[in-house]
Amino acid sequence: MSDTRDTTGSLDATGSSDTTGTVDTLAAPAPATADSPSAQARWSGRLSPRGRRAATVAAGVLVLLALPFYVTSFWLQTGLFAMAAVIGAIGLNLLSGTTGQLSLGHAFFLAVGAYGYVWLAAEPSGTGAGSLYGLGLPPVLAFVLAIVLAGAAGGLFSPISGRLRGMYLGIATLALVFLGHHMMLNAPQVTGGFNGRSVPPLDILGFSFTDTSPDGLAVLGVPFGGLERLWYVGLALVTVAWLAARNILRGRPGRALGAVRDSEVAAAVMGVHLTRYRACAFIVSSMYAGAAGALLALVFKRVVPDHFGLLLSIDYLAMIVIGGLGSVGGAACGAVFVALIPHLLTKYADDLPLLTAPGTTGSGVSPGDAARYLYGTAIVLVLIFAPGGLAGLAHRRPRRKGDDSPRTRRFPLRTRTAPKEHTP
Amino acid sequence: MSIGTTATPPEAATTPRPDSGPDPVPALTVESLTVRFAGLVALDDLSFTVAPGTIHALIGPNGAGKSTCFNVISGVYRATAGAVRYADKDLTRLAPHRIAQLGVARTFQNIVLTHGTVADNLMLGRHRLTRAGFTASALRLPRTVREQRRHRERAAEIADFLGLGPAFDKPVGGLSYGDRKRVEMARALCMEPRLLLLDEPVAGMHPTERSAMAETIARVRDALNISILIVEHDMGLIMRIADSVTVLDFGRLIADGPPERIQNDPAVISAYLGTPVQDTEPEPEAEPEPESATDTDTDPDTGTDTAEATAPDTERDSEEAS
Repeated sequence: MSDTRDTTGSLDATGSSDTTGTVDTLAAPAPATADSPSAQARWSGRLSPRGRRAATVAAGVLVLLALPFYVTSFWLQTGLFAMAAVIGAIGLNLLSGTTGQLSLGHAFFLAVGAYGYVWLAAEPSGTGAGSLYGLGLPPVLAFVLAIVLAGAAGGLFSPISGRLRGMYLGIATLALVFLGHHMMLNAPQVTGGFNGRSVPPLDILGFSFTDTSPDGLAVLGVPFGGLERLWYVGLALVTVAWLAARNILRGRPGRALGAVRDSEVAAAVMGVHLTRYRACAFIVSSMYAGAAGALLALVFKRVVPDHFGLLLSIDYLAMIVIGGLGSVGGAACGAVFVALIPHLLTKYADDLPLLTAPGTTGSGVSPGDAARYLYGTAIVLVLIFAPGGLAGLAHRRPRRKGDDSPRTRRFPLRTRTAPKEHTP
Repeated sequence: MSIGTTATPPEAATTPRPDSGPDPVPALTVESLTVRFAGLVALDDLSFTVAPGTIHALIGPNGAGKSTCFNVISGVYRATAGAVRYADKDLTRLAPHRIAQLGVARTFQNIVLTHGTVADNLMLGRHRLTRAGFTASALRLPRTVREQRRHRERAAEIADFLGLGPAFDKPVGGLSYGDRKRVEMARALCMEPRLLLLDEPVAGMHPTERSAMAETIARVRDALNISILIVEHDMGLIMRIADSVTVLDFGRLIADGPPERIQNDPAVISAYLGTPVQDTEPEPEAEPEPESATDTDTDPDTGTDTAEATAPDTERDSEEAS
């Protein structure tokens, strides 16, 4: 008896959680007496979907690894933007999706990461009014410290983020965005002011992530410039961010955060320190934003204040709602979707109807606006037809006759069908 | 009010039970607890003691303040005045998670479960007994993995104990009402509590499930030797498993004592059934019948079980009397 459960338990811990498992057990409830045969059947029955999943993941990773050999720099740059978005969205998803805390201040923490990296890595330059501060640290160290800095900024905000919830936290974090924007414009010695600041390239032990030094680097005959090199840094960062978030969600903190979202009273009487966990979720999410911001800075090669406005925060909320709240994979899918659309529309503006390429005169919509219309529509469609987001669609199982168990869905920010708060 | 044992029985509170090991279960003492919501007095100068290792029932008509009392003990509400003493601490001054750390677990009247599987919910109950933080979990340190595995095994044992073994890896959303009620109970037990607060554990269950749950509660007390404070409207169940009963009405204590004495207490009967208008004499004797008649399914057991349960109670009575 315990043997069977142990095997299913370990499988569930590694496999794709509740979908396949429940279908199997619902369809054929294994009799408790037939221990070893049922265990055997489960093993053989489970291994193939699990193997298929592993194969899919491996294929995806191979394609991602091989991309720099085949695609143009436009696609690499767009892909890197998407990677930064994936990291940021995974972080916001921990906060808003799992813990149910609305944050409109994600752009601020992205800015802290981006400007933090620039400030830490850049050599001081200029004199007089145009002088720029910088610590001139090794870029890798600066990158790590930028993440820490963003986390510290989140920590400074924790007296507020630990106590406010829902909409109130949303409004409070909104203030951060404007505060951040003001600081970026008015501390020109650190941020470069309105025109921003150029970003020192990443450099690991003398290996520079630019088009030069080592000059003319080529792998298998393909020239490896800055974007190609940065691509692998991005992939590594996404992998680490993804795995860390998944481990957190499956572990003790993830359960506590989910409990804070579903019922604060129940979480508290189970021993969860509400203020601390809310603050921790905020800090972790800020660190993810910091990493995303620093990567974004490396790809952009220049940081400007106007990029880190309220619209960026809303973009990130759109990513996690489209992707599916509470799911790491969903957040990643949503991030890719939202990050790719504006770039694709810009590239193909001439070929698409109703669009006008930027810089030209025409009666159409600019690609940036069109992108917002598109994912605005996507959000509405997702909320109506797939409240679980893209992740929910992927996990949706075909309803069978006799299967009367309600579909478990992850709902956005505590809405109607979330378990009702205890009203004592 | 008449039998109010407001004074703590000193023997029960201080002498460790012989089989409770190095860490004796402390008594829970509610002292002159008053809770006011604006103009409404929800609890009025309430005092009672839950002796270690007993099942103590808190009963009363709807709105009597039973759930308020639970919420104060578990730290969800603040008390206006008075104290709740447990393990040398005043629970009214502690945050809910600190109270949980002391080994006080509770269930909710309306089921409050989180998303995910039964296992996820039970592992939430292990929160206070586990240590893994964000960094350790993110890195999946060997220590964290071991801790998780060990506690998962214990959670599975507890699930088996409550008959939830086959549902262990199923999402709670798909379980029946009775099963979800049991998941709540299992989650509370996963905290390895020394004081268990059960808020209407059998409400809405059908008779078979009720008697199974009653048996489980009694087994929990006997096996784990913990104190259980239970709010329940099922009088048959209360009379069967409770060692002592406190009756509330409009936030005030109206009776406190062993179940058989409560059953015949005139104040209790009038609280539940109203005071007769004119002739006060014959009613109290006649009244208990319709009340217990509502629980016909559990009635046959009641006679025998209360007889068994009387033995320890008489001892405690003599203690209280002395």
